[in-house]
Amino acid sequence: MSDALDSARRRSVGFLLRFVALLLVFYLIIASHPVNDAVIVPFTAAIASVSGRILNSLGEKTEVMGTEIRSSSFGVNIENGCNGVETALLFGAAVLAFPASGKRRLLGLAAGFVAIQILNLLRVITLFWIGLHRPALFNSSHTVIWQSIVVLFGVLLFLLWASRQRPLSAEPSPTSRGRSRKT
Amino acid sequence: MLNGRAVLRALVAFLLALAFWFGFSRPYERGIAAGAQALTNLFESPDVTRLQPSNGEILLDRRDFPPGSARPGLPGPDLHFNFVLLVTLFALDRKPLRGGHVGRFLLAAAALFLVHVLALVFQVHSVYATSLGAWSEATYGPVARNFWAAGFHFYQIAGRFAAPFALWWLFGRREEEEPSGGPRRTGKKKGRG
Repeated sequence: MSDALDSARRRSVGFLLRFVALLLVFYLIIASHPVNDAVIVPFTAAIASVSGRILNSLGEKTEVMGTEIRSSSFGVNIENGCNGVETALLFGAAVLAFPASGKRRLLGLAAGFVAIQILNLLRVITLFWIGLHRPALFNSSHTVIWQSIVVLFGVLLFLLWASRQRPLSAEPSPTSRGRSRKT
Repeated sequence: MLNGRAVLRALVAFLLALAFWFGFSRPYERGIAAGAQALTNLFESPDVTRLQPSNGEILLDRRDFPPGSARPGLPGPDLHFNFVLLVTLFALDRKPLRGGHVGRFLLAAAALFLVHVLALVFQVHSVYATSLGAWSEATYGPVARNFWAAGFHFYQIAGRFAAPFALWWLFGRREEEEPSGGPRRTGKKKGRG
């Protein structure tokens, strides 16, 4: 039993080390100026553009300039940390650090990225609405509530994905002994 | 591990943690500021850095700043709101209030406090290295500037979200529960509805 737990512990720590290493690599990639200018900023501008269109279809009169969404009385600039990329990085690093087949990882990454971005769009739209109609609530909604929700969503998505992975090798893992699977 | 009940527990914990965080973030900031000031002073001669929490900001002061000059304010909530994430993740456990789990949560929370202190130290040096004009350039070389600025930027972009997850993974996740973080043999295959 102790060996089993030791083995599980080793794998767990191994996952964590891979996760942190991948996160650092991803950070270095997205923080570099060429990637930031060629990928992150246009991607963020696309988020602003889609959010602006949705807000306009909901009756708000907004205009989008680059990564900014403005109305006559309120404006937001979507920056790094608010474009869902940070949660996608977290999710991506966790999925790639977890042992699974390449195909399942790819599917997980694609589905997770889309889901995170959909939630992030909802975040941008509601934050703009809050800023416009309930400005006193904007700061706490922006910094704490929505950021936490999006990151938690990413973590829960990863846990859901990881719980559905099948083994890569036929070698039995001690952690699975006596464990009942819930769906 | 991840079922409807776990998500419900997480939701309740999220709301409770949020209320707790709103109520106690000011005294908590005093603790972080004191820790970061002590750590910064340790490597200063003379020890000139002073960190003073004030209305959600941590004012960065130096004894050698000109008396009338403005003091940079560092936003406190950005540093430590991830406490809410830590509580929520620990609440995913089937029995989140059992003694051992609470003990591990307290360990993780203590580790997160150290992360917050370190992040604030990085933020202070990041301001020193990049925002004080000629003084910054004279005092910090290119390597040091990049080290402190990139270190804090990493915390802002990835570290503050990754820290609660990593601490929960290390302290709060039970080994017998999935995901194991390693190859495993699943039992009888079941279809999903």
